[in-house]
Amino acid sequence: MADPGTAQPALSAHAAGLCGCRVCGRVNPAEAVHCQRCGSRLDPEPGLQVVWAWMIAGMIAYVPANLYPMLRTSTMGRTSDSTIVGGAVELAQMGSWGVALIVLVASVAIPLAKFAAIGYLALAVHRRWPMRGHMRHRLHAVVEFIGRWSMIDVFVVAILAALVRFNLAASIAPGIAAVSFALSVAFTMLAAQSFDPRLIWRATEPETR
Amino acid sequence: MSQIPDVEITPPRPSFWRNLSPVWLVPVLAVVVSLGIAWRSLADRGVLVEIIFQNAAGVTPGETSIRLRDVPIGLVERVSFSADLSQVVVAARIDRNVAEAVPPNAEFWVVRPEVSARGITGLATVLSGVYIETAFLPTTTAPGRSFTGLESAPLVTPGRQGTRITLRAPDGNRLTPGAPVLYRGIQVGHIESPRLLDGADGIVIDAFIEAPHDQRLTSAARFWDTSGFSVSLGPGGVRLGVGNLASLLTGGITFDTLALGGGAITAETTFDLYADEAAARQGASIGMASNALRLAVEFEGSVQGLNPGAEVRYRGIQIGEVTAIGARLVPGDGAPRLHMQASLALDPPSMGLPANAGPIELDILISALVKGGLRAQLAPARFFGTGLLVELVERPDAPPAELLRPADGVPVLPAIASTIPDLTATAQGMLGRIDALPIEELLAQAISLMAAAEQLVGSEDTRAVPGAVTGLLTEARNLIGSEDTQALPGDLRGSIAGLRGIFDALEQQKAVEQLVTALTSADAAANRVYAAADEFTPLAEGLSGLVAKASALKVEELVAAATAVLASAETLIGAEGTQGLPPALTGALRQVEGALAELRAGGVVPNLNSTLASASSAAEAIALAARDLPQLSRRLDGLVAQAEALVGAYGARSPVNEEMLNTLREARAMARNFSQLARTLERNPNSLLFGR
Repeated sequence: MADPGTAQPALSAHAAGLCGCRVCGRVNPAEAVHCQRCGSRLDPEPGLQVVWAWMIAGMIAYVPANLYPMLRTSTMGRTSDSTIVGGAVELAQMGSWGVALIVLVASVAIPLAKFAAIGYLALAVHRRWPMRGHMRHRLHAVVEFIGRWSMIDVFVVAILAALVRFNLAASIAPGIAAVSFALSVAFTMLAAQSFDPRLIWRATEPETR
Repeated sequence: MSQIPDVEITPPRPSFWRNLSPVWLVPVLAVVVSLGIAWRSLADRGVLVEIIFQNAAGVTPGETSIRLRDVPIGLVERVSFSADLSQVVVAARIDRNVAEAVPPNAEFWVVRPEVSARGITGLATVLSGVYIETAFLPTTTAPGRSFTGLESAPLVTPGRQGTRITLRAPDGNRLTPGAPVLYRGIQVGHIESPRLLDGADGIVIDAFIEAPHDQRLTSAARFWDTSGFSVSLGPGGVRLGVGNLASLLTGGITFDTLALGGGAITAETTFDLYADEAAARQGASIGMASNALRLAVEFEGSVQGLNPGAEVRYRGIQIGEVTAIGARLVPGDGAPRLHMQASLALDPPSMGLPANAGPIELDILISALVKGGLRAQLAPARFFGTGLLVELVERPDAPPAELLRPADGVPVLPAIASTIPDLTATAQGMLGRIDALPIEELLAQAISLMAAAEQLVGSEDTRAVPGAVTGLLTEARNLIGSEDTQALPGDLRGSIAGLRGIFDALEQQKAVEQLVTALTSADAAANRVYAAADEFTPLAEGLSGLVAKASALKVEELVAAATAVLASAETLIGAEGTQGLPPALTGALRQVEGALAELRAGGVVPNLNSTLASASSAAEAIALAARDLPQLSRRLDGLVAQAEALVGAYGARSPVNEEMLNTLREARAMARNFSQLARTLERNPNSLLFGR
């Protein structure tokens, strides 16, 4: 992002046989395993398999997160389970369209968009689809930024479960979907994080070597 | 991922596994866990069963749970109707391991909040909604998948240890389903809904006695109703019996083993339910006992007041009861006659026989006693009231009789006429006499008397009496206080001194000796008078006439005369002349004194002496005449005896006396009667209440 200029091809460190440390920024020779300054491990050949692995794990965890109840609400002895989508629909039926929309966006749309974004980035890098690197870089930044906000659902559940404990009158317990959802979000975040943005630029490089 | 072994990677890194990131474990683990969860939820889904209810109020799909001993074992999934819409089919999933043990006859019922006399049940369901409770005996073979639900909670859940019995009662209007069955005040079970008996009078009630307590049940157990409260009035006062609160509201049944013996009961044993404890005890001891001796008694008169269940008493203790009353046609010459027949059941142990004695032993005993004079008679059960009981009394002087043994019936005990009518007549007579007392007239007379007294007291004359009395007293005081009256004693003293002088003179003249001789001759004269007293009898007659006259003398007139005398005395005292009486008296005394002095001076004493001498001669004559005096005395004695006889006759003949004596005699008799009654009551106060 340092150079938002044109897509004018420039010599990259990778092309120059160098490797930048992602921690302290020092340029090391490509052969080096550890950074010469800070000693952190260098990854001259970042792979995509970690991204894939985290993403798949996140997607797997996302399935029960939507099938199983997120919240178990007991009001006056009546217990009702609600899944994420079911809860949103319930809210919508109650007339809280805004809240329903927020829930739907935060719990359904964003995770799905993240999967799509990460998958697209990984595939694009892997397949070397032609695309402007700046766009991809921005997409990655957005995904990384927004990832943590998906946890809002889990926070709501955790806070409700902690606060609403009036025994018989009302009590809320997190369902199995809450754990699944939290794991899904965490895995997705890890996937986004493990995606090395350098690959974006490397993919745009001409296949010279 | 097929691209991973890339061209670029080959030169620096040789191993495939080295390249494979360990992060791949995470999705593998996620898959495994997800699959595991999915499999488990599928496996734990439970078995779908169907329960058919008549109505399913409050049953909500997805919320209503199925519970076994209050532990949730399933959830209702769907509520639908049967094909003909006549029933509700509740589809529920039951935990797999439980479902395998549910037999086809498992009971399901909807637990709803219920407020009844027994308390509030199902309160939790007010907030949480209803749930379906189930109870069954676990089975190992063919589990059921379709069940029929109950309308209400069963009173006895399957699997509960205990004994189920049946009670028979005339009615069940005090018993509600679930009412407690008590044993010595502790609930040991409960009853189910009373239901009508087909083709018979009365109802039957199923009861369940819980496990440890059902050992108390023997065939000798007696059940009675303890519903509500009972008030009994007896010699010990009023007694109020209240059961526990639950039985007060819902009715209750108590049982106890009242009779001896009794074996183990079999399932579905039927017991009789008695109205109260007394009835149960009675029934337990006599009426229902198999070893009671059945007898009949025939009464010629009415048996009104004698009811089945009435006691049979012998010397005050109950030995049996009347079981039935009927009439029997007595064949005989002439007009047909009816005898009222009472059937009795007598308890052998009550007559002192051993507990295991049967009717045969009692029969022997009774027939022996009948020969000795045992008879049956009707007796009032209470002092007041018309209730009767049968009493066995011993009349050794009764005409001989035996225990009749008709060919076609029970032995007949000879009866004697009862004494009830006499008692009633006496009581009625007593009441009639009390009624006839002239209380009104008495009161009227008393009132008029009081009115007259009031009038008398209120009259002016009566009021003037005290004033007159005061005046009289004042005058009397004046009279006494006057100087003349004061001088009276002095004058009297002077007169006495004069008299003493006369007597001294007399003494000096030996007047005493003369007097003695005079008396001697008087004695002789008296002796002679005796002789002359032959004609005393007419005198006595005259005397008796005098007495008669005296008795005939009217007291009123006497009193009137006396009053008149008093009045004149008052007038005399009040007269002015009386005031002047003392001076006149004084003067008179002075004259007497003077006369005495003159006497002394004028030689009266010698004159007196001569007088006495002549008196002595006269006395001599009298003594001569009184020779017959003893005879006179004898006659006088006779007179006195006659007078006494007269007085006695007079007394005996007097109607007043007679009346008085009669009155006294009656009073004495009455007093004796009362004291007798009092003694009787003292000895046996209960008789007032029981009429015995």
